[in-house]
Amino acid sequence: MNWISMLSPWQWVILLAIPPAVLSLYFLKLKRKQLAVPSTMLWRKAVEDVHVNSIWQRLRKNLLLLLQLLFLALLILACLRPGWSGQNRIGERRIYIIDNSASMQATDVAPTRLDAAKKRVRELIEETSSDDVGMLIAFSDRADVRQGFTKERNKLLSSLESIQPTMHNTDLTEALRAAAGLANPGRSSFEDLTDIQVADAVPATVYLLSDGGFGDLGDFDIGKLQIQYIPIGEPTTANVGIVSFAVQRSEDKKNQLEAFARIMNHGNSQVSFTASLELDGKLLDASTVTIEPNAEAGLLFELSEMEQGQLKLMVDYADSLAADNVAYAAIRPNRPINVLLVTPGNSALETALQTARVQQVASLQVEGESFLTDPKYAESANNSAYDLIVFDQCSPTTMPQSNTLFIGGLPPRDPANAAKAAPATPEEIAAGDKKPLASDEATSQPPSDWVFGELQGPVIVLDVNRSNPMTQYLEMGSVGIVEARTVTPPESGDILMISDAGPVFGIAPRGPFQDAVLGFSIVQATDQGVSVNTDWGIKRSFPVFVYSAVELLGGGITESSAPTVQPGWPIGLQLSSRFKNFEVAFPNGTRTELVRGDESRSIFTQTDQPGPYAIFADSLERPIETFCVNLFSTRESNLATEATVKMGFEKVDASKATAQARQETWRWILLVGLAMLVVEWIVFNRRVFL
Amino acid sequence: MIDRSSAVADNNSSPLLTAEMMSKLERMELVSRKIFRGRMKGERRSKRKGQSVEFADFRNYVSGDDLRFIDWNLFARMDRLYLKIFLEEEDLHFFTVVDDSISMDFGSPSKFFVAKQIAASLAYIGLCRGDRVSVSSFATCGSPVVLRGKTSAYRLLNHLGSLPCVDLSPTMEEAMRKFCLKNSGKGIVVVITDLMSKSGYETAMRMLVAREMDVFLIHVLSPEELEPNVQGDLKLIDCEDGDQREVSISASLLNRYQQALAGFIENAKSFCNKRAIAYVPARSDEPAENLVNEYLRGRGLVR
Repeated sequence: MNWISMLSPWQWVILLAIPPAVLSLYFLKLKRKQLAVPSTMLWRKAVEDVHVNSIWQRLRKNLLLLLQLLFLALLILACLRPGWSGQNRIGERRIYIIDNSASMQATDVAPTRLDAAKKRVRELIEETSSDDVGMLIAFSDRADVRQGFTKERNKLLSSLESIQPTMHNTDLTEALRAAAGLANPGRSSFEDLTDIQVADAVPATVYLLSDGGFGDLGDFDIGKLQIQYIPIGEPTTANVGIVSFAVQRSEDKKNQLEAFARIMNHGNSQVSFTASLELDGKLLDASTVTIEPNAEAGLLFELSEMEQGQLKLMVDYADSLAADNVAYAAIRPNRPINVLLVTPGNSALETALQTARVQQVASLQVEGESFLTDPKYAESANNSAYDLIVFDQCSPTTMPQSNTLFIGGLPPRDPANAAKAAPATPEEIAAGDKKPLASDEATSQPPSDWVFGELQGPVIVLDVNRSNPMTQYLEMGSVGIVEARTVTPPESGDILMISDAGPVFGIAPRGPFQDAVLGFSIVQATDQGVSVNTDWGIKRSFPVFVYSAVELLGGGITESSAPTVQPGWPIGLQLSSRFKNFEVAFPNGTRTELVRGDESRSIFTQTDQPGPYAIFADSLERPIETFCVNLFSTRESNLATEATVKMGFEKVDASKATAQARQETWRWILLVGLAMLVVEWIVFNRRVFL
Repeated sequence: MIDRSSAVADNNSSPLLTAEMMSKLERMELVSRKIFRGRMKGERRSKRKGQSVEFADFRNYVSGDDLRFIDWNLFARMDRLYLKIFLEEEDLHFFTVVDDSISMDFGSPSKFFVAKQIAASLAYIGLCRGDRVSVSSFATCGSPVVLRGKTSAYRLLNHLGSLPCVDLSPTMEEAMRKFCLKNSGKGIVVVITDLMSKSGYETAMRMLVAREMDVFLIHVLSPEELEPNVQGDLKLIDCEDGDQREVSISASLLNRYQQALAGFIENAKSFCNKRAIAYVPARSDEPAENLVNEYLRGRGLVR
């Protein structure tokens, strides 16, 4: 049993002054009802023996006074907040880490695991003495410091109430690092530097409230942290969860789609249930599934061809976690990419653009060089009619309002930049009138515009940029190039291919568009006919490159299955540069504007809600892109609580912390006190009969 | 604020004796346990032998006896002189003293009113039987109203009805001393009081006993004194001397009060028994008629 004072010293003085005051009031008895009697003779005799002994005798059998004093004693006792099985924790640092990942929404402990954890933390916070400092961290796959170290319990409690469940995964590392960083402040953040102790490490107790589904923490050093692991949830909670769901084009039958699902049974008994598939809210198919204990089952639905739609797979099985019983997939809107190829004649390129794979996603228009002077071109180029324009061995006078790929040609100079830097224009270089900038000049100062070198050869490609989707699968080692010129993209661009002469392939943004410039041509049209500049055109990597270029620069949809991410994770979206304004529609119907950056890929991060998302462009009624957010986590679906967690090199048992909760008794004492007050009132009214 | 509500008595609202009660009382007579010499020949047959028509006994003649009472017939037959003795008939002196202290002015009806009723009843019986009836209160002991004959009943009731409770009434001792000095004769004395005198009642009663009077003590107590219905923290004020007692009523205090009361009554009773004083307890909430009809008859004061 221990005590916690709820009052300040001067409040105690007042409280302790009450019992003597009550006693003195009993002696003084200022207010007495006057009553005339025939004679006080008999009364005198009656009270005489009381007077005989002492004045204290007067109080001896005064039931009312006893009751009042007892009530006061109980009141004082209650103000001391007596409780059981706690320790005096003066000045202790406590860090409460609460798991709010998806699995904490399980209802095996009423109402949910998260609510149970919050209740437990509330008890722990209320148990603290006034000198304790507490800190509150909520974590899922990221840590969120809800409240830094504070002595104010109310702040902690209100922060605690604000913790909401998420659909995220579980990753404790970040939360522990946040806690450890505050507990072990001497740690320097640079790993290669000598670790200098800059301040004394202050030991702190970490109360970790989780269902344990965060895996191994590796060699995380908890330092001075004392971790009390309080498991929330039942250790043997069964659950059925969808761990994957996707839709694909059938390999065998054209014009058919197949939906795959993988469902896992985390339980010790066999389960049988119905899985139903809905398309845009209408039941499409259903299937009965039986899964052995701790096993998984696959599901296949064959669907007829459809242009686009949202698929929803539901598992009709009542378990503790409802969030993983639903999965979403979407069939992407089918929108071909408009590609314009302007070339004097390049059979290798044309062939590569006419492969079945490219045909599936793009519609190709091939024009001669003269098309550039056609007013139709000027109109469509300014109206963003094309997703991608490939300029082969030629260049327009002004850059069109679309993504471009220059092969052997050079993009025209931006007039603003040209006036400023005035390096050699492509035309001048081509004519040999003006020397290009020396390479050292170009490198010493980051160029603000494309910089091109002179034609030289032969050239061997040394390396390609593997991080760019356009070049990531290219194997250029065996490609020979007769002539090439170095291509240095401006500051904001990327070099995609480096040869022994320098960069020969680069990509750079231009407003909302992207321009890619290849420093060598595949074939060169001359007066004598066509001369081959490189053997790349007959290599396997060339169609792969063309396809990747169409996919990336065209911004088209090449897969019928919409991408899916886990809740909270960012998704990269390939958006066509033809449109200016984009809106993302959330599963609940609300919309938000998506700001498209300079790059063709946009990152969307507001993926907390599971379900299908759709992206609308400009004023189009139909979405141009969809994606889905699904839980798809075996770890979250497995609701079995772990009794032991491994923290670095230390194992933390659950049982250590379970007996810590303080059993408050002051409320009961106060209740007894109130009951006493009632009894006292009755006695006061009926004391003659007692 | 002194609560005297309980003291509001219907002193003058109802008559002391109703006609019905008076007719009952007329059939009764006062009985003395002692033989007293009346001043006048009355209607009462005395234990004293005397001159009347009723024969009592014979006795031998001694010289000097009145020759008129010699039974000559007996002398003729037995040749010896015998004297006839007749029963004497005489009157009775009846005194009643009512306590008129303020303490009697409690209860509903008040103890004083009940005391006056009892006094009136007994005095009326006396008047009907031709006894000499003397009515007084503690304050008027020096100048009692003496009445004789049934025709004086009106005066009796008038006098008793107009008797007030007196604030500065003399103590019982003073009153009895004055009474004994004034009334030298013997007879029946009925003292009606609540005995609530802090100076005690013993001396006063002893004076009466010393005068060889046949003393009756009617002890009138109100229900408020017998079973006090009070609660809370009170300041009790003695209505006679203003004495104050602070009490917190509790069950144990009430128990002690009952013990004190029982002790007080027991003391009075044993004091009276030892001195051949007839102690008669009376409750003020009981009709005086019952007391006279049943209780006093049982105790031999009336028949």
